[in-house]
Amino acid sequence: MGSPETRFEELVLPHLDAAYNMARWLTRDVHDAEDVVQDACVRALKYVDSLQGSDGRSWFLSIVRNAFYDWLARNRPSEIVHDDTAIENAIDHASPGPQQVAVRNAELRGLAAAFAELPLQYREVLLLRELEELSYKEIARVVDIPVGTVMSRLARGRALLQRSPLLREMALQSMGSES
Amino acid sequence: MKCHGAETALAAYVDGDANMLQSHSMKRHLHECSECAAAHRDLLAFRAGFRAEVPRFSAPPALRARVLAMLEASRQSAPAAMPARMPARSGRSRPGWLSGSRGSLGSKGSMGAGALVSHWQWLTGGAVAGCAATLFAWMIGTTVLDWRAGQDLVAEAVTSHVRATLGNQLIQVASSNQHTVKPWLSARLDYSPPVQDLSQEGFPLTGGRVDYLDRHPVATLVYRFRDHNIDVFVRPESSHPPPAPRTVRGFNVASAKGSGMEWIGVSDVSADVLANFVQRLAGEVPTP
Repeated sequence: MGSPETRFEELVLPHLDAAYNMARWLTRDVHDAEDVVQDACVRALKYVDSLQGSDGRSWFLSIVRNAFYDWLARNRPSEIVHDDTAIENAIDHASPGPQQVAVRNAELRGLAAAFAELPLQYREVLLLRELEELSYKEIARVVDIPVGTVMSRLARGRALLQRSPLLREMALQSMGSES
Repeated sequence: MKCHGAETALAAYVDGDANMLQSHSMKRHLHECSECAAAHRDLLAFRAGFRAEVPRFSAPPALRARVLAMLEASRQSAPAAMPARMPARSGRSRPGWLSGSRGSLGSKGSMGAGALVSHWQWLTGGAVAGCAATLFAWMIGTTVLDWRAGQDLVAEAVTSHVRATLGNQLIQVASSNQHTVKPWLSARLDYSPPVQDLSQEGFPLTGGRVDYLDRHPVATLVYRFRDHNIDVFVRPESSHPPPAPRTVRGFNVASAKGSGMEWIGVSDVSADVLANFVQRLAGEVPTP
């Protein structure tokens, strides 16, 4: 086994883009994402000797996720909601309040903006599946939930996004082109 | 017919998480059940829409440089101890992002809490980071012109790829035979691009077309990887360095030079798969 730095270079560094993408979608901010990834890198270097096997990606992403939630507790504690029913209610009566409008990033439109506004627990599983192409098992490892919960959160997240008008339009087009 | 539990089974099938037996029975079921077939179409449309619209962000070069500086500092500080220093990002500006959506705190904190490093400090790492920053600034200065040209080229390549995909104009000569595609392209261009079929490595050649890039006609090879299309633009090598790998509107772009040609791949497959594939085509990676 090489030095921690060498192991980090071999097992963790190749996944820096994945880490940044995850942090970028979780924090929804360029600079905050960098802070979270830096924190995660420091932790990963410290613990890289404990990494078994070669699956550095989900190992590193779970560290990024932990770093993010620690960051969230320090910087935006109001975003943390412990009660799942509160989340469900918030979605079901989704009227775009001033807070939600403030979330909208100028560079994101349509589906991307809708995705950025999705509650964290759906956003994290969807980004791991659709953008990082992780398997259910890998997602379960990163998020630290059972595979069954991964599946139900994916289904719920997709259902919420499918309300987006843009997607509906695309679905109609694809039906038209098949006939 | 009401299909109990079919929704999750269908999602697992689309996500590639079903085993062979499950996939097989799902395929048969989709032929018989119009309700599930419609749900299947919705899921595929969702995936296509999501991947086209939601970008995958790449780590900024400055972040990468800071991580490398941290590694270097850790190497030099002591073989035994404490890698926990990283230089601070300078010029923090924090846009006042409020948030409307909520998350739940699911973290078990298995990797230790933020107490480990809650603030960044300048120590030995600072000096190294300073050198790295200077070097980085110099590199930026000398390459900025090429970079600008590369930006335009990359954006153009992605636009061509999207236009071809949407308009079903992906392929003008449909053949998996390189000896058909190569002469077809040579007859329409003033150069003859190398054409390889890499189906044994999982990248079957599906055809080619002539597109426009940088105001010149360019050979475009079309490959498939699983369910993804990969466009590879091939043109004679120029004096500019090939554009750096990037993500534009969710599509990854990777390029390489080799065999006297410049190769630019555009696809929605993951960045590392694409980069390896393009380098393989350009001959940078030896044939296994």
